[in-house]
Amino acid sequence: MRVKLGALLAVAGLLGTGAPPSHAQAPVVLKVAIVQQIDSLNPFLAVFQSSTEIGRLMYDPLTAYAAADQAVTEGLANRWEPSADKLTWTFTVPAGKTWSDGQPITARDVAFTYNLMLTDEVARTANGSFVTNFDTVTAPDDRTVVIRTKAPQVTMLALDIPIVPKHVWEKVTSVKDHTDDRGPVVGSGPFVLTEHVPGQFLKLKANKSYWRGAPKYDELHFVYFQNSDAAVQALGKGEVDLVNRMAPAQFDSLGDRQGVTRNRAQGRRFTELLVNPGAQTRTGEPIGDGNPALRDVRVRRAIAQAIDLDALVQRVNLGYAEKGAGIVPPVFSRWHWQPTPEQRRTFDPAAANAALDAAGHPRGADGTRFTLRLAGRAGRAYDEQASEYLRRSMSDIGIALDVRLVSDNQLNEVTTAATYDLAFSGWAASVDPDFVLGLHTCGQRPGADGKGGTTDAYFCDATYDELYARQLSEFDETKRQDLVKRMQARFYDQVPAVVLAYDNALEAYRSDRFAKFTTQPAQGGVIMAQHGVWGYYGAEPAGQAAPAARGWGGLAAFAAACASMLMLIAVYVRRRRATADERE
Amino acid sequence: MSRGVFPADRAGVAGAVVLAVAALVALAAPLLVPADALDVTRVSDAAWQPPGAGHWLGTDHTGRSVALLVVRGTGTSLFVGLTAAVLSVGIGTLVGILSGHVGGLFSGALLRVTDFFLVLPSLVLAIALSTVLPRGLGTIVVAIGLTSWPSTARMVRAQTLTVEARPFVDRARALGGGHVHVVVRHVLPAVVPLVLVNATLAVASSIVAESTLAFLGLGDPTRISWGALLHQAQLHGAVPRGAWWFLLPPGLAIVVVVLAFTLVGRALEAVVTPRG
Amino acid sequence: MRLAGRFGGAALSLVMVAVLGFFLFRVVPGDPVVSMTRGRPTTAAAQDALRAQFGLDRPLHEQFWSYFTGLLRGDLGTSFTFRRPVAEVIGDRIGPTLLLVGTSTLVAVLLGLWLGVRAGWRRGSVFDRVTTGASLALWSVPTFWLGMLLMMATGEVFPSRGMRDTDTAPDFVSQSLDVAHHLVLPSVTLVAVVCAEYVLVMRSSLLQETAAPYLVTARAKGLRDDLVRRRHAVPNAVLPAITLVFLRFGLVVGGAITTETVFSWPGLGLLFYDALTGPDYFLLQGLLVVTAAAVVVMNLLADLLHGVLDPRVEVV
Repeated sequence: MRVKLGALLAVAGLLGTGAPPSHAQAPVVLKVAIVQQIDSLNPFLAVFQSSTEIGRLMYDPLTAYAAADQAVTEGLANRWEPSADKLTWTFTVPAGKTWSDGQPITARDVAFTYNLMLTDEVARTANGSFVTNFDTVTAPDDRTVVIRTKAPQVTMLALDIPIVPKHVWEKVTSVKDHTDDRGPVVGSGPFVLTEHVPGQFLKLKANKSYWRGAPKYDELHFVYFQNSDAAVQALGKGEVDLVNRMAPAQFDSLGDRQGVTRNRAQGRRFTELLVNPGAQTRTGEPIGDGNPALRDVRVRRAIAQAIDLDALVQRVNLGYAEKGAGIVPPVFSRWHWQPTPEQRRTFDPAAANAALDAAGHPRGADGTRFTLRLAGRAGRAYDEQASEYLRRSMSDIGIALDVRLVSDNQLNEVTTAATYDLAFSGWAASVDPDFVLGLHTCGQRPGADGKGGTTDAYFCDATYDELYARQLSEFDETKRQDLVKRMQARFYDQVPAVVLAYDNALEAYRSDRFAKFTTQPAQGGVIMAQHGVWGYYGAEPAGQAAPAARGWGGLAAFAAACASMLMLIAVYVRRRRATADERE
Repeated sequence: MSRGVFPADRAGVAGAVVLAVAALVALAAPLLVPADALDVTRVSDAAWQPPGAGHWLGTDHTGRSVALLVVRGTGTSLFVGLTAAVLSVGIGTLVGILSGHVGGLFSGALLRVTDFFLVLPSLVLAIALSTVLPRGLGTIVVAIGLTSWPSTARMVRAQTLTVEARPFVDRARALGGGHVHVVVRHVLPAVVPLVLVNATLAVASSIVAESTLAFLGLGDPTRISWGALLHQAQLHGAVPRGAWWFLLPPGLAIVVVVLAFTLVGRALEAVVTPRG
Repeated sequence: MRLAGRFGGAALSLVMVAVLGFFLFRVVPGDPVVSMTRGRPTTAAAQDALRAQFGLDRPLHEQFWSYFTGLLRGDLGTSFTFRRPVAEVIGDRIGPTLLLVGTSTLVAVLLGLWLGVRAGWRRGSVFDRVTTGASLALWSVPTFWLGMLLMMATGEVFPSRGMRDTDTAPDFVSQSLDVAHHLVLPSVTLVAVVCAEYVLVMRSSLLQETAAPYLVTARAKGLRDDLVRRRHAVPNAVLPAITLVFLRFGLVVGGAITTETVFSWPGLGLLFYDALTGPDYFLLQGLLVVTAAAVVVMNLLADLLHGVLDPRVEVV
């Protein structure tokens, strides 16, 4: 018996100290928590933000956005030239850049990638919208890519398409079935994917031959968490080094944590309140059942005026947001628009009440003018809280609010069928404002069969569309900025939606392990979810960079506890048996 | 076998007392909780306060009192538990009596369906149902009720078969008693005690099921229930913050009430089937 | 004859599961293609192409036929979140769930039956009261809540997520230790809740058995108490208990969903939760069919096992 106990203790002790002997040259690893699933690592199929971000680390695009100011900078191509009619673009891919397997990167890889997308429908799944206007893509020699477009396109330097190696992908028979995660995956980015265990983690190793220079550490691991709560906890314990997408409360909870540095960055997302302006299809057929009162722009303005945006930012975003105005967030400072004092609607319930009276909506006997439905997503903290505030704001101007928080797909259904009066929505903008602006053009409304639309705001305004068309072919950036701002002013004035807030991106990292990260933009920028690779690529390990302590103590204690319990039971049973024998 | 060593009845009484208190709290909640105290737009207290003088169970992420939230959640949790149990036991009783009484092919088919639902993982099915149906309290009730009836059906069927095999039922039939007569006069009275026990136990599991669905974010977000509070606690980072006061009370409330229902159910069971 | 009936019944259940899985997720209002293209610029043509790719443009009965024949070939359709065959996605995740559920069930069954026997045999003793009371209390605890509490209470002792660390040495011993380290909290959570049920089942089964006349006789004859227990009462009482354990396998599956969600354990439960947030209907349908089929098969096994173990039950 005693021997057994000793053996068990020895095992427990072994567990306690049995951490694998640390190698003298342990690789420096940056561990990043991701909360979103990885849908696919195939760059033609990956849609989720998490996977496109990892895709960028594996494959460089043709042109990139600089870290400091998000200006267009060298990607695989270092020079580009539009023709006089802006229909033909010539990109130069310089010599000297190589794939991670040592093969040179050439213009033929670029042409191969784009042509794959032009010829294979499946390859257009993720980034098809970039090439819809392409006519032909050719590579007359190893250094030159020539793209002919059907119409002038201002976003030719914003082609966020991972370029894949021709010598690997021409052997792929079906893009749909190629998971592209059997490491090492040949790529051109600063990291090479070596292992992917779905639902658990991804491992990448530094690409030592990266043309910008090798990263300053050895491996980059992405660890999947089911929720940001667990991710924040893991950061506190030192199990991961970098976390983003934190809720304000979680961000606050890390305020005084030793060895953790928080990064409050300007985000690319905005939150908006859709106000159904009388939704119609592209062909002008009314769809949905939005309250007719909202077709009157005076009513929409009154609603916007009755919402205290400052209070929402303070109480719901806990201050981690900026008050909303135009549809391009302030992080894109070149395109962001703020109303002038004359244009600005200040919070004024009294004026809103007067406006509603004037618009012919008197209060009824119970003080209510009419009832509106507010749709939001259940489980999204913002919607759950902000709806309470909106209910109160609206009741102040005599509008009863019927709050309906539903699941994600039900909310989708409500907005695509336009069966809402008010609804929460939000979009993430890109460096080039084309996407977010284009959302609100007449052409983005659904077709006659109610399908195929992208917009959820159903805005259709001749002035706006005309400005949109002009900016799309305006190659002088200053003039284009002016057009873009005028579009936002028009949007603000017509109120198909009230931009409530520009959410901050809340991130934190173990500064005892990593001293510095490159943010984009340099001032108030993000580390993760960039339009580029800078955050991960530019990370610098802290001097001593001790590998995260491994706590085997818990397992040892648990094993010891189990063992001693078993021992107790064994002893107990023996004793009972012994006494039973004696009794007999 | 004599009973009495195991204090099922005493535990049952304790459970009943707890339930009475819970019911009182649920009914009195509108009086106990001032109208504005849980309105996030009107609350001015600091968020995440640990228990102390002002709030004896601390405050949540918006500064609302956790104690008041738990009081307010009592009604919803009890309501869902009770209605789901009634639905579940109702379906179960109906199916059980039908399949026991009617017999033949129809009975076989019913039994097949019952067995089928009996083996299906009920939580999986309830989750599936609540994603498919529109969000709301009704959906939760239906999702729980529709997935938890088979055990009742099985039991009621067995009891029905036993009762119908007895001589006095045959006599009643011979005397011209129709289906309705037999079921109402003979089967129902024999089944009711069993159903009652089942209903009590079903309330217990329904409350747990409600909290699970709410925790997974499938509940009615406009209502406060204990499960919804735990969902909030998780959503807003109570665990990394160490805010045990937001996590503990709603969970304990669930445990206490569920335990109370279980104890009462077992005590009733002991009365109904004296062997137990 | 009876055996054939069992298999026939199980097969019928499987067919019903398949049918239910299909129609349950088709009655959902809404267009899966819309959720697939959400947040990205799209055109009607692109949406139609997607619809065709997933076969959503065909009439319902054709969809059902191809789904059903697919099932027979082991093809569960294509997940539109992962853009991969559902069977593959599920296959990736089945190992961790088997590990968690297997370990927990094993421990819970052993512990539960043992405690149940002890408690039932000394009915009314302090041990019985404590065990029964604790089991009833644990049975009332929502699994996810227990998990969250354990996580908060143990602080930094155990890892907060997943099954493996990414930087553990690749050798077998380190990897196993790492997995064991991660397994502690989730399995303790699952064991606590599931075990409670088994204790109660075993206890009442034993109580019924001890009331049987032959045991009363045996004891009256003066046979040694624990001999009676070990030789007669327990073997007979364990059978119904084991059957019930198998019958309640669905409960374990349910517990696994919440446990995996709380601890980010990369198994089917977590996949189920992730599929919900999509919601990825093909994946949900596949998961429902796979879990339900597993439970049906477990029940069949329980039946057969029961027949083999208990000579009183005629199998053939």
